[in-house]
Amino acid sequence: MSSATPRMYPGASPDERTTFDAYSAFDVPADLRELSGRYDVESTARRVRNFRYAQEWMMMIGGGWMATIPELPVKTGLGKIVWDDAQSADEFGQRLPELRCGKRSVTASEAANDGFAALIQEVSAPESPDLTIEKVTGMFDVLKPHLLAVYDRMQRETDQIADAPTIEILDDVMRRTRKHIVWGDEVLERLCVTDEKRERRRRRLLSVRELLENCGGVTGEIADESHGSAERGEH
Amino acid sequence: MKRFIQHDELARDCRFIRQQNVLTTILASLPDDVDAVVEALDPLSPLIEESVRETAAQPLFDRFGPAFALLVLNEPIRAGADGVAERLKLRMHGIFVGELQALEGAGRSLWDFPEAPWEFKMNMARQCWDEARHVQIYEKLMTHVGVEAGDYPESTFLFECACSDDPAMRVAGVNRGLEGLACDVFRDLIRYAEDTGDEKMKQAVDYVLADEITHVRFGSEWVKEFTRGDPEHFERTQEFRREVDKQFSFGGSRSDREDAAVRIAWEDRLEAGFSEQELKELAEISVGGPSQHTMVTAAKILQQRFDARKAGEADEGRA
Repeated sequence: MSSATPRMYPGASPDERTTFDAYSAFDVPADLRELSGRYDVESTARRVRNFRYAQEWMMMIGGGWMATIPELPVKTGLGKIVWDDAQSADEFGQRLPELRCGKRSVTASEAANDGFAALIQEVSAPESPDLTIEKVTGMFDVLKPHLLAVYDRMQRETDQIADAPTIEILDDVMRRTRKHIVWGDEVLERLCVTDEKRERRRRRLLSVRELLENCGGVTGEIADESHGSAERGEH
Repeated sequence: MKRFIQHDELARDCRFIRQQNVLTTILASLPDDVDAVVEALDPLSPLIEESVRETAAQPLFDRFGPAFALLVLNEPIRAGADGVAERLKLRMHGIFVGELQALEGAGRSLWDFPEAPWEFKMNMARQCWDEARHVQIYEKLMTHVGVEAGDYPESTFLFECACSDDPAMRVAGVNRGLEGLACDVFRDLIRYAEDTGDEKMKQAVDYVLADEITHVRFGSEWVKEFTRGDPEHFERTQEFRREVDKQFSFGGSRSDREDAAVRIAWEDRLEAGFSEQELKELAEISVGGPSQHTMVTAAKILQQRFDARKAGEADEGRA
């Protein structure tokens, strides 16, 4: 090969370089992300297990409620939401083996603490057919908005490059969760047509939110950002 | 929220009323004997009358007496047949409430069995969405044929029969018994839609049937999984499925007989994972009830008795 011919592949000596232009991996398109994040691998894995716990329980609770709710559009609406929550739990689970949790960790769920487990049981507690307002308020006015706030913060604060697979999953889960919150609000607006019913919604919201704040939320470490409380610290 | 609810705890809005499940249970146990059918159903006349009061079925009861169920349930839906419009409305409403109960059954499988494998939960969650869409589809189709939710009484018999407390039996009952029945009924409805050129109905029901085949397949796989290494449990589950299939044959109305209102959808069921042996069993289980001729003869006698009672009451009133 003539020395004037541009090299397609590098050789072993300094003058055997290729002639291709040099770019950073972030030049095209311009990428301003930095290598830094609030959570390390272990911390992210624990949070993903916490998220999976919440999504799996919301799926099961929605499944149980469908038979106990008389309003037809709420029954059928929950059918889709149950499937969405199942997919969210599944996506979180698929991430766990990638975070050094072992091959069998795809179904690992973990409550951050006993308080959050108790909160989930409280959300599931309304059973009677006349308690649709309490059912929908606990899950769609309190729990899902809290999760959305935590997911959003995690997405912004985790390492944008190293933990990008978690960010992608959170994208999907947040898209679904936003739709669920809008749906829940529309249902409650339609159901709470008297002062007495609006008061039931308000009372339920306050009581579930109090439990949520007392236990530190889904990770046990973050107060509900959607209400302006400060994070109690992680890392 | 407790685990394992009863069929009478299924929540409904103010449009719905319940039908006593005893009528459906009795149909499953009747022999092919006119006198036996008459003697079994005649005492139920007050119960049936109460369950249709102020519903779209009341005029049918007033006209045919307690036999109206025999005339409606046990006759095929065929284009141009006498009374087919009324039968189609009843059939469509029956499917709609069946889909509601299937939705509730799938949902309860998520809540009732929290320790079940994750793949099972994924299947049941997917089924929840599918059944929710089916409820929506049949609500539209009911409007399409001129009937609305709550126009007829609802029997919660499907949920009652299918929802066992054992997960293997639950999927055998809901996913193989109930959803298998759905395959039969929907194939029949597609034939009717083809005969009448109803493309809207044909396409919608065909999509639903595709989903149901998937749900039966879930059931076929999970029965095997839940009973793996335990042949005695598997056999009990099969026995439960046979019992459910017998109940869901409505005395031969769903069977392989020439005069059946709904024929067994062999091809669809094979695709869904039923074995030839299971389908032969189903054909045997379902064939033993009253023939259509027996039902029609019994219905005439029941109507005569009903008319005589009405005339007697009218005479007493005048006296």
